[in-house]
Amino acid sequence: MPLDVAPVFRSYETQRTLNPPGIPALAPPPEGETEDLQRIAGRFGDDILAAGLHHGNQVVYARPGQLKALATFLRDDPQLQYETLIDVTSVDRSELPLDGEARFQTIYQFRSYSRNQHLTVVTDCLSGTEGNGTIPHVDSLTSIYRGAEWPEREVFDLMGIRFDGHPDPRRILMPKNWPNHPLQKQAPLGGEEVPFTFTWDDPEFETLGTQILAAESAAPDLPPGMSRQNMVINMGPHHPSTHGVLRLVVELDGERVVSIDPDLGFLHSGFEKTGENKRYKDFVYYTDRMDYLSSMSNNLGYCLTVESMLGLEIPERAQVIRVIMAELQRIASHLFWLATHVLDVSGTGMSLLMYATRERERILDLFEMACGARLTVSYIRIGGVWQDLPDAFVTELKDFLRLIPQKISEYEAMVTEAPLWQERLKGVGHVSAEDALAMGLTGPMLRGSGVDWDLRRDRPYSGYEGYTFEVPTRDSGDCYGRFTLRLEEMRQSVRILEQAVDNLPTGLYKSNNRKVALPPRAELDVSMEALIHHFKLMTEGFHVEPGFFYHGIESSKGELGFFIYSDGSAKPYRLHVHGPSFNNLYAIDHLSRGEMLSDVVTNIGSIDIVLGEVDR
Amino acid sequence: MGIEEKVPEGILTTSLDSVINWGRANSTWPLLFGLACCAMEMIATGTARHDIARYGSELFRASPRQADLMIVSGRVSNKMAPVIKRIYDQMLAPKWVIAMGICASAGGPFNNYAIIQGVDKIIPVDVYVPGCPPRPESLLYAMDMLRAKQRRETIGAGRKVEEPLAVEEITPLGV
Repeated sequence: MPLDVAPVFRSYETQRTLNPPGIPALAPPPEGETEDLQRIAGRFGDDILAAGLHHGNQVVYARPGQLKALATFLRDDPQLQYETLIDVTSVDRSELPLDGEARFQTIYQFRSYSRNQHLTVVTDCLSGTEGNGTIPHVDSLTSIYRGAEWPEREVFDLMGIRFDGHPDPRRILMPKNWPNHPLQKQAPLGGEEVPFTFTWDDPEFETLGTQILAAESAAPDLPPGMSRQNMVINMGPHHPSTHGVLRLVVELDGERVVSIDPDLGFLHSGFEKTGENKRYKDFVYYTDRMDYLSSMSNNLGYCLTVESMLGLEIPERAQVIRVIMAELQRIASHLFWLATHVLDVSGTGMSLLMYATRERERILDLFEMACGARLTVSYIRIGGVWQDLPDAFVTELKDFLRLIPQKISEYEAMVTEAPLWQERLKGVGHVSAEDALAMGLTGPMLRGSGVDWDLRRDRPYSGYEGYTFEVPTRDSGDCYGRFTLRLEEMRQSVRILEQAVDNLPTGLYKSNNRKVALPPRAELDVSMEALIHHFKLMTEGFHVEPGFFYHGIESSKGELGFFIYSDGSAKPYRLHVHGPSFNNLYAIDHLSRGEMLSDVVTNIGSIDIVLGEVDR
Repeated sequence: MGIEEKVPEGILTTSLDSVINWGRANSTWPLLFGLACCAMEMIATGTARHDIARYGSELFRASPRQADLMIVSGRVSNKMAPVIKRIYDQMLAPKWVIAMGICASAGGPFNNYAIIQGVDKIIPVDVYVPGCPPRPESLLYAMDMLRAKQRRETIGAGRKVEEPLAVEEITPLGV
């Protein structure tokens, strides 16, 4: 019996209740002008439908026919120089009051590293026909920005928008025989009714623990572009070196890699669809489970996006606590990367895993002190943090900060100079700065190729502008460069932590705005007003002004971005996550071509992926 | 009036069942297989502080042919389900399954189109561990529960336990 994959429709999950009149609403037109927008409007004239600032981001609405010309202009114009396409996403506006406008829109995030500018481009999708239905389609940007390939495949897979001229228009996350495009609004959330019963005699439990379904096997089809002349082997999804459930189809000529086709989606958990059915505050708990090695960073990225849309001020103390947590998380994540990287490359090097996780456990202990959880913390909440730091935290943290620099040096001494380590890493997985920009790589993958960019320094958030730290870069662009770079990043994180812990202000640990942040527990016992606020927040949540916003933070793996389209209700209308691992993993084919099969393992470790974030 | 009186000093007798179960319960090799967040806690269980080697289970085998125990550590997606079933089929009997965390047990927070609501829809599960993710201590406790179960098995009737166990009987201290 094959698995029943037909999604169930649960009306109570998708109802958009409690909305005052006027909701849902479309995003308002952008206002204001900047130099870049004037230049774009001057070149394209009437083909730009609207341009301006929206929540502080530059936004351009372009006609779909001019999209490719606009993208080429953005990249090549000497006064604009938008080198990178960070993200592609889409929105299905069928539940909004459209008034004859196009149902689907695609949304592009362009970034100029050299000029420190961010630009959002929105375009309507054209309506075409396929079979007896209509399908949305729009031009593909892969010929201009190579890194658009995977994000566009993702948009096609989840939203059903076709990209004209895309070189590889396959599904990327869902199984190839999946019946629908899950993010379209008429596609149900799915899942099962939660059973409730008083008795073990219920037929529900008849087969409990003994049921074995015959599952369908995946047909071994050859990815496009590969040839049976060469040896095609399968790595994963159950493989010790793929860092989770990643499947790589590797085409080999002898021991040399000809090409790689990654097969994703084995951990696809429907985060974005789930987020559209949860209130804003309830999605914080889900963000933990995306990049589960950097839960704090995920919390932070999501909360900052929602807070920016609300225009919420965060108290000073909460900001410093957030920085402490984010930097501790970066060290923890890098320690785990170091442990698994050495394990992968050596095959048997268990000792560094034991050493590095020993220090990581200390960080997890600190998290546990603050919030009671080790891994899925949900400590950073909208409006601040969940609770104030306990008294012993600062002492423990200072203790840890005394210890960790010498440990980092110790680990560095173990491997950096070792001839075998250098043999396996130097010159392996090379990516030039131009390629890194074209592919939209972020984080250590970008800095390892000599691009000097760090969101903490260049587009600061949470008060990072008040800390002194260096952004290390490496020009070599190989695995060894990225290895030394990450070690240096850990040292810089320690520097930030030392400054933060010395200047930890007193005061509020979360916003005093009772319409957004819960009142402290003690207040509920004495204040009726606090009780009402608590009740309203827990039952209805808070509303966010109609509009959309993209915000990226520097997570341990690269730029972690959240895109939210609000229709004014208490739930996000569209929630999209830009996972750094997803874009960075795109480089695996480029990195590994012409190298040995064993170097593929080195490259996976060097990219530092977490599959929860790749597949979402 | 048994055989014990006839054999020289220093020799013990036992049933074949107990000696086989003793061996199986004290060297259950898990499959090196992680799915999601719970896999991080599974790795933490394997490292120095929690030290799963005390249970004889430190040898995580990458090949299902060499593994006795599958720890399903994380959410099971529709795309992954056939793979898990195949890996389970490739393991040699006797084999056991721990559903680690709420996702593997019942779908957890992901009640949506992508995630199978419990791995027991595909393969039989011996021990369910609650938690999101369970702490390493919880996983060790599950290993204890599994050992108690392993010690009750007989080679004659395969994996069938003669009579159902009451919940209070399946405790690590009850053996």
